[in-house]
Amino acid sequence: MAQTNPPFLTGVPELLVLRMLSGREMYGYEIVKAMRLVTGEAIGFGEGVVYPVLHSLEENGALKARRKAVNGRERVYYAVTTKGKRRLEHLSDEWKRVSSGVNSALNGAHGDPEHA
Amino acid sequence: MPDERFESLRLELLRSGVAPLYVERTILELGEHYADLEGAALAAGFGAEEAARAARAALGNERAIAAAILARPELLTFSTRWPRVAHCLHSAATLPGLPLLYCIEHRPDLARWGAAVGVATTLMGSILTVLNWLILLA
Repeated sequence: MAQTNPPFLTGVPELLVLRMLSGREMYGYEIVKAMRLVTGEAIGFGEGVVYPVLHSLEENGALKARRKAVNGRERVYYAVTTKGKRRLEHLSDEWKRVSSGVNSALNGAHGDPEHA
Repeated sequence: MPDERFESLRLELLRSGVAPLYVERTILELGEHYADLEGAALAAGFGAEEAARAARAALGNERAIAAAILARPELLTFSTRWPRVAHCLHSAATLPGLPLLYCIEHRPDLARWGAAVGVATTLMGSILTVLNWLILLA
C-alpha cells in the first residue's frame, strides 16, 4: 500500500526549524537568519510565522525553551530534545522519499506521462 | 512588560482562545525580533523611519501571524479546542457548589429569613417560659 505523506504539505517548516536547531540552541531571529542562509533565500515567508512553529514543536515536546537575559534583552532560546531528534530523522526521511519521487517524475524516469 | 506595538495582535489572540502563555511569549518574541530587524536595518544605513518600515515588512503582517497561530490547535486553550468537554467538566465541577452559590446570590433574602426565624424562636421561647412559670406558681 502506498504511504501517505502529510509532512510533504505540513512538515517543511518543522523540518527546517529542527534542522537549524540540531547543531546548537538559538532564538527566533537567529533561526530565521540561519534558514535564509542555508536555503539561499529560496523560501520566502513573513518572519513572524516562525514563532507558531517553534511553540507548536515545544508543545509537542520536540523542543525545549529557556529564557535568557542578554545585554538587557530577554531572549527565548530553543534546543532540540531527544524526541525532536527522532522527529527530525523521520521528517528528513519523509522529505527525501517525497523529493526523490518528485525528481524522478520531473526527470521522466518512468517514461513520458503523456504516453503512459 | 507587553510590547505595545503588538497590542492589537495580543488582544486578537486572547479573544480567539490562544493559551495566554503562548500569547505573551509570541508578543515578547515578536518585539525582540522587530528590534533585531530594526537594528540590522539601521546598521545597514537605513534611516529610522525606513528601518521601522523594513522591520515591519520582514516580520510579516499581523493577520498572517494570527492565522498561523490559530491554525495550530495545540496552541489554543482547552476550552477553545474542546468546548463541549469543557462545558461538561465546568458543569460537573460547579454542581456541588450550587447551594453555596444560591446562598451567596440570595444573601438579603436569607438574612431576612434568618432574622425572622430568630425573632419567632425568641418570642415562642419567651411565651413558653412564661407559661411554664405560671404553671409552676399555680
